[in-house]
Amino acid sequence: MPNKLPLFLSSTLHDALDFTKPHLTTCPACGLLCDDIVVADIAMANVANDKIEPIKNVLANGCAKGIGFFNQPTVEFSPQINGKSVELTAAIAHAAHLVKTSQTPLFAGLSTDIHGFRAIYKLSQKTNASFQHINNQSIARNMTVLQSTGWHNTTLTEVKNRADVIICFGDVATHHPRFFERFINCDGMFVKAEDRQVIIFSDVAEKTAFNNDATRLKQFDKSLNTPLILPCSADDLPSVTIALRALVTGKFLKVSQIAGIKVSDLQIIANKLNAATYAVLTWVAKDFDFNHAQLSIQNITETVAKLNLTTRAAGLPLGSSDGDTSVNNAITWLRGTALNNSTINSELIEHDLMIWVNSFSTENLPPKTHKPMIVLGNSTIKIKCDVFIPVATPGLDCTGTLFRVDSAVILPLKKVRDNNLPTLSKVMLEIEKLL
Amino acid sequence: MITLLKNGKLYDPAHNKNGVVEDIFIRDSQIVAKPNISEKISQTYDINGKIVMAGAIDMHSHIGGGKVNIARMLLPEYRESIRYSEPEAHICKPGCTHGSTNHATPNTSETGFRYIEMGYTAAFEPAILPINARQAHLEMADTPMIDKGGYAMLGNDDYFLRLLASKADQKVINNYVAWTLHATQAIGIKVVNPGGISAFKFNQRRLNLDENNAHYQVTPRDILKSLSRAVQELGIAKPLHVHCNNLGTAGNFQTTLDTMAASEGIPIHLTHIQFHSYGCDGDKKFSSAAAQIAQALNSNKHITADVGQILFGQTVTASGDSMMQHLNAKYANPKKSVIMDIECDAGCGVVPFKYTDKNYVNALQWAIGLELFLSVDDPWRIFLTTDHPNGAPFTSYPHLIRLLMDKSFRNEAFAKLNLDAQAMSNLPSLTREYSLYEIAIMTRAGPARLIGLNDRGHLGIGAGADITVYTDQADREAMFAKPEYVFKDGELVVKNGKVTKVVWGATHVTKPAFDIGVENNLKRYFDTFHTIQMENFKISNDEMEDIGNGKLIKHG
Repeated sequence: MPNKLPLFLSSTLHDALDFTKPHLTTCPACGLLCDDIVVADIAMANVANDKIEPIKNVLANGCAKGIGFFNQPTVEFSPQINGKSVELTAAIAHAAHLVKTSQTPLFAGLSTDIHGFRAIYKLSQKTNASFQHINNQSIARNMTVLQSTGWHNTTLTEVKNRADVIICFGDVATHHPRFFERFINCDGMFVKAEDRQVIIFSDVAEKTAFNNDATRLKQFDKSLNTPLILPCSADDLPSVTIALRALVTGKFLKVSQIAGIKVSDLQIIANKLNAATYAVLTWVAKDFDFNHAQLSIQNITETVAKLNLTTRAAGLPLGSSDGDTSVNNAITWLRGTALNNSTINSELIEHDLMIWVNSFSTENLPPKTHKPMIVLGNSTIKIKCDVFIPVATPGLDCTGTLFRVDSAVILPLKKVRDNNLPTLSKVMLEIEKLL
Repeated sequence: MITLLKNGKLYDPAHNKNGVVEDIFIRDSQIVAKPNISEKISQTYDINGKIVMAGAIDMHSHIGGGKVNIARMLLPEYRESIRYSEPEAHICKPGCTHGSTNHATPNTSETGFRYIEMGYTAAFEPAILPINARQAHLEMADTPMIDKGGYAMLGNDDYFLRLLASKADQKVINNYVAWTLHATQAIGIKVVNPGGISAFKFNQRRLNLDENNAHYQVTPRDILKSLSRAVQELGIAKPLHVHCNNLGTAGNFQTTLDTMAASEGIPIHLTHIQFHSYGCDGDKKFSSAAAQIAQALNSNKHITADVGQILFGQTVTASGDSMMQHLNAKYANPKKSVIMDIECDAGCGVVPFKYTDKNYVNALQWAIGLELFLSVDDPWRIFLTTDHPNGAPFTSYPHLIRLLMDKSFRNEAFAKLNLDAQAMSNLPSLTREYSLYEIAIMTRAGPARLIGLNDRGHLGIGAGADITVYTDQADREAMFAKPEYVFKDGELVVKNGKVTKVVWGATHVTKPAFDIGVENNLKRYFDTFHTIQMENFKISNDEMEDIGNGKLIKHG
């Protein structure tokens, strides 16, 4: 259930300078960018070295991902060359040397905010660089659909206020823990929470918060507020999405089951879509991890297109994070083309130097390379490389700017703790000066 | 440091100078009076016989924000023809993507370079969705060389429509409009298909001026009245920027005439009016109504318009008008489009188009735009635009200027059109040729006056030294494509049509006074219906400085 803001918190929440006082901030741990997070420092004794260190406490509206993000420990800042601690200037000089002597550098990872990417791009203009984001495959799946047929999409505030039938392909709740709380299980301007109908096609039903099963389909019309979860593995998404598209179009299917789901049940869902006031079909491109996944995504976007001939519907790509929406937008205006590199395959782009950038999470590590590697990232990353420069995490150690998953809303990130980590922009600028 | 431009022929309509030979003195970033004899002239440009105008100002060009970037994402095939070797190779390193292109979706660097190379020193993004304003400013911040600014879109946002439906006092509306200008760092207000973008979300497919938005039971006329009054009462220089209902449909000229009448004497600006000047006569039920529209513009002195000329070739249309773009998507070429409903704020529609002179409708659209240019008497009230990139990329302005200045060139082009379209146009009978003075009005003095940029668009003492120097050539396209010199804020930045120095222009904004009490209601609205904090919706001056490369200039 949604956490209500504690009553004692006033509008001064927006301007906290003292990190020990509760203040509002924005969470970049997933693409939803929830900006109603209340955090404050609490002093904690650090058993290891007897020091008292502040720990970020999420007082309201935190999800597991968000709490994990804000609770990241601060590690003492120490740039390294070949595993040995060095001064920042020495690390920057060595990084600049590697970039200067590289013929085909690759900026990989690219998990950063707009300002970080602008700095990367500016430096890249002095080189013959390529770009490959951590999420390059899911980005490419969506971009290929966009560039082939286009789509008719919506954004999160429209979902909250209008959507009466919501279909999710993929495990939205795992990628965005607060999606249902913030946009579905609440009243909107034109629709009440209890009148929404939610259908989820996912193979991780048991992991979701919803206690549901396919047998409830019979009572579907009576239990509108209960999301209906239909087991559907990634392998089944092509057949399920094409079947639903066919049924919405009014075609007759000669089989009784598709991927274990009764066609009659799919027909009920198709009818609901056709009868909806504002249907929203969401998908998580990361969960479409199979060959030619773009064709299945296109089944969804073309279902929306069909519905829009007579009624209203819209698509919504979900699942983005690691700054992918931001970097894709920024490279598009800076370079004129999107980040998909017109390829969907997962192979690493050819390079003689990898510059791995990961400002946000400690989970994603660089792919294997036999070439020299510079790592610029979250201070807690532990990785063997030629040069390691810990940088500030936007939304934690420094301010920043990120695009939300729907690509329409751009939010500022706040600095919520004090340390001496340099920003990625500053490091990039210093490297660039030496080229 | 003083720079002297010696013996240029000045076309400066704000000071009634029509080809007067005079010297111009520049100190730092400003045009100044002739200095004392004791002061040293650091640099002199002998521009004897050259034509001097203020830097041109594009008052309507989609250069920043969501839909432009969607257009770039949608059309990677446009990038294939890029030549990487020129012309910015002298500034940028190899591998840099500042290609030499004439395409419809330039990146931000190309946008700035192509504008300044043509002698344009400012461009205004006419459709900033308030919720997306941060993106628009980020993109414009990455656009070098030129000044910029934008108009914030209102009139389809649920907050405004709720106010209007509840018959809120005009003062309440005014406060909201002013608050929006502050929050979005804009210089004007625009309304796109008044009420129609919202109506489309309720599954209405068309909306006429006196037709109700089904949910709110308010009409486009109500919306226009309320917003135009707000803009006037707040003292905002730029009149309400109006994209009329029924964009691009046969017979829509009546809506446009009715919209003019609905203004009831309050200044409004009708944008890309070419797309709103269509009759439905003839066998093909599509005809020119330029004569009726021009006549109405001539007699309604409080109304201004820009044309939105189409020119033949591949382009992409990017509009906030999701309702009409959804209808237009069936004409997409290549066959793909993006339509979006956005944040209970507005929407957008991005549809690629290929205009050809052999297509009846396209050919007539081309003729209608030119008929409008040539039939509207007062160049102070009609502006030269292609609604970049919707009618054509802005890089085709020199071609368009020649069409206006050179009757025989125009008639040659007309003779190549679809024959049925030729039969439906009176263009050959319009013998008018624009003068250099009139071009200077419609591309410099007029836009500056309209937007309220007091120190731009003219060459008087105290003006910002944005100056373009052309070599007089009979071929006006060649002349306007490649100025001899362009000065931006007093610095020489273009020589012989090539950029010699990279600079970053300012962002122009207006900040009318308002009652901050408006935030009480807004905060409640944000907390109940929105999905971000009101505080995060607002873009502060500090944030503009953080994201920008140039300064912020406040007007009015």
